[in-house]
Amino acid sequence: VSAALEDATAIGAVQTIVEPQNAEEIAAIVRKCEADKISLAPLGAARTLSQIRRSPAHIGISLKRMASIIAYEPEDMTVVAQAGLTVGDLNATMATPGQRLPVDPRDPGATTLGSLIAAAHAGPLRLSEGTVRDLLIGIQFVGHGGRIIRAGGRVVKNVAGYDLMKVMTGSFGTLGIVTEATFKVRPIPENYTLAVAAFPNADDAFAAASTLHDQVPLIHLEVVSAGVSSTIGAPDRFVVLAGFAGIRSELEYQSDRIARALRPTLEMLDGDPALELYSSLRDLDFFDGITARMAVLPNELARCARESSADFVAHVGSGIAELSTRAADQGVVARWREIAHSARGHVRVISAPASIRSQIESFDRPNPGAFKLMQRLKSTFDPANIFNPGCFVGAL
Amino acid sequence: VDGNGTAHHIAIDASLARELRAIVGDDAIVARASELKVYECDGWTIEKSSPDLLVMPHSTEQVSAVLRALHRRGIPFVPRGAGTGLSGGALALAPVMICTSKMNRILSIDLANRRVEVQSGVVNLHVTNAVKANSYFYPPDPSSQMACTIGGNVAENSGGPHTLKYGVTTNHVLGLEVVLPDGEVVALGGPVDERCGYDLVGAVVGSEGTCGMVTAATLRLMREPEGHRTILATFADVEGATAAVSKIIASGMIPGAIEMMDRLILNAVEAAFHVGFSPDAGAVLIVEIDGLEVGLDERAAAAIDLMRACGVTEAKVARDEAERALLWKARKRAFGAVGRLAPNYATQDGVVPRTRLPDILRVINAVSERHGLAIGNVFHAGDGNIHPIVLYDEREPGQVRHAIEAGREILTACVEMGGSLTGEHGIGVEKMGEMPLLFSPDDLIAMTELRRVFDPDERSNPRKVIPTPGACVEVISPRRQVPL
Repeated sequence: VSAALEDATAIGAVQTIVEPQNAEEIAAIVRKCEADKISLAPLGAARTLSQIRRSPAHIGISLKRMASIIAYEPEDMTVVAQAGLTVGDLNATMATPGQRLPVDPRDPGATTLGSLIAAAHAGPLRLSEGTVRDLLIGIQFVGHGGRIIRAGGRVVKNVAGYDLMKVMTGSFGTLGIVTEATFKVRPIPENYTLAVAAFPNADDAFAAASTLHDQVPLIHLEVVSAGVSSTIGAPDRFVVLAGFAGIRSELEYQSDRIARALRPTLEMLDGDPALELYSSLRDLDFFDGITARMAVLPNELARCARESSADFVAHVGSGIAELSTRAADQGVVARWREIAHSARGHVRVISAPASIRSQIESFDRPNPGAFKLMQRLKSTFDPANIFNPGCFVGAL
Repeated sequence: VDGNGTAHHIAIDASLARELRAIVGDDAIVARASELKVYECDGWTIEKSSPDLLVMPHSTEQVSAVLRALHRRGIPFVPRGAGTGLSGGALALAPVMICTSKMNRILSIDLANRRVEVQSGVVNLHVTNAVKANSYFYPPDPSSQMACTIGGNVAENSGGPHTLKYGVTTNHVLGLEVVLPDGEVVALGGPVDERCGYDLVGAVVGSEGTCGMVTAATLRLMREPEGHRTILATFADVEGATAAVSKIIASGMIPGAIEMMDRLILNAVEAAFHVGFSPDAGAVLIVEIDGLEVGLDERAAAAIDLMRACGVTEAKVARDEAERALLWKARKRAFGAVGRLAPNYATQDGVVPRTRLPDILRVINAVSERHGLAIGNVFHAGDGNIHPIVLYDEREPGQVRHAIEAGREILTACVEMGGSLTGEHGIGVEKMGEMPLLFSPDDLIAMTELRRVFDPDERSNPRKVIPTPGACVEVISPRRQVPL
């Protein structure tokens, strides 16, 4: 048992950890757990698990021994890998032919493919590349009765059968244990460049970013609050970070437009400095207080970020923002939810101090009609209620 | 279709017809057999079965009332959009058909958030037409986009030539309004970019109408690329053309589309449209590069250089929008042009990993020789999505059987190469029998369980997609003969 996994028990996510070697072993564990009413949870996202669980699951399934690439054909732009492999390791392999799985969860080196899918992690790249939902084209998971289920396939275009990939994405381990995944991959863009510009207030920063979004195709586009920008080594003000790429002629053209939208404090980074700043943005470890992800209509993002009174990383164009505050006050979450609901959105709590965690709902509540279907989905896919029970939306 | 020749046995009585008429109004119900004949099939014309009753509700409330009435009596129904589907998804294997033709309003256009909300009967192309003046577009562009509806696109998870770069329907649907088979109206997903709870929208997209009636959808729009370069590249043979596809993809370039046509198709298309294809051409690729105008010439030149290494004999870039439009017309109407070559033809829809394109072409050649039937090839090459067209003459003894066999053998080879039974046309009734080639009994059970979350009695579009255990599906005629 590795240190990270000991961590999972230490932080109260699970009581015992098992490390199966293949899907058949997981199937046997599932059958045993169903018979004995023992709860189990996949451990890829131990940190997330420790945040959303009120009490530890009996068994944590670690997929550290299921971490191989099964098939990778660069010319097909697809990859099949076991769920215990990390995004970082997968992308290190694919970098040689100039490709990557274009998702950027916080700390890809510690994010397994299983947790990427289960928690639907996403980062700045979502603007240009979509999220794991858009890239996952095939899946294998162990479901109830220990059945090993496959859906989708290994080809980029495929409409045969129901899309179980979507159902598993963002299901937080509550419907089964993902063991293998097939993804579309993409070329690494040429000449990544990062424009950084500071603004005296949030409104000016959002206005400039929004103009830019309309004028130039970007790889990612963030507005960060002053508290965040100083943490990642950018100026101690509201900062716009706009990533773009292309061949020389395209870069010049984009730079020119970006310069006009973001002047006067613009700085252009390329090469390693650009990648370093991007990595610190992606891997940003927020404060010890409350951190949450807010999803709202894109043109309401500026207002919502401002009204939240939090520090934030706002993904302009996507309408998503990570919010963070040092306050250990559960009232903050209620206020953020009120703001999000006013912009037709919702809030998920990513982390909260142990002292108030039990008073906070991690997930927002879906509408009653949709929730009824979700209850049916959970009870159909997990009739014994053993897969990470009691901690998803509405305590599913 | 059942052994006794009828598609469904459930009788509907006069009280149901009266109740449905009261809900939708006299102008929106069809009960006369002669008028119902129009609805006896969709683009899959091999099997036919008329509904007993067709209703065309005007609103979500009417759909809900209709479904409540059917629910009380336990009567199954078939949702229908424009009937352009190619796998029999809208074949009436239930007595009541519910058509979305009167629900064709665009409900809201929100350019600031790049979203539109539409009723499910809105025609695909009308979405892009409504926003193109502002340089936005709705990316999925099936060849039937002038007729097919958003509801049908949601059911089939439709693609189109530009899916290579921009993705298919499921990548662009944010929210759905669905009327469940018991009449309850549910809102799934929503206008924001992240889901709250399970991704039920993702479950419904591509479920081929088996999870209830989709009545409205919130779609994400994209910004039009600044410009295009459309390259027509001629090769001596298909091997060179497929090698060029791999070369382009491996270089890290993602064109908007890469389409291939072989000699047989080219001759037919040239005779029909006079595009100017060389008579010696063994195959052509249509490669469309899009993006920032400033980089397009250089990117197009790079693509042509890559193709030179694979024996391209001629490569030219469309000079203007008219030339580009002619190329796309030739490609999209290739199937119609094939009608000149043989009295009958049957089109397949299979997928292989891109790198296996040369292998599947060899299989197709062998199948063609073995059965003594000519087979033409027109592909979405960039996606590995093949559309072999088997030419035959149903008046010749044995040719129908050979055409059916040829189609099956090609599909089986696709699956053996790690591919799929269908890239964009759906399973419907057409390919139900082949589903076990791709999925285990456990996989099919899990899929059925998902369907029953929405439709516990399996009354929404019954007997589609998942084969009934033990049932033997016999295909009595070759695959469809309709243009894509």
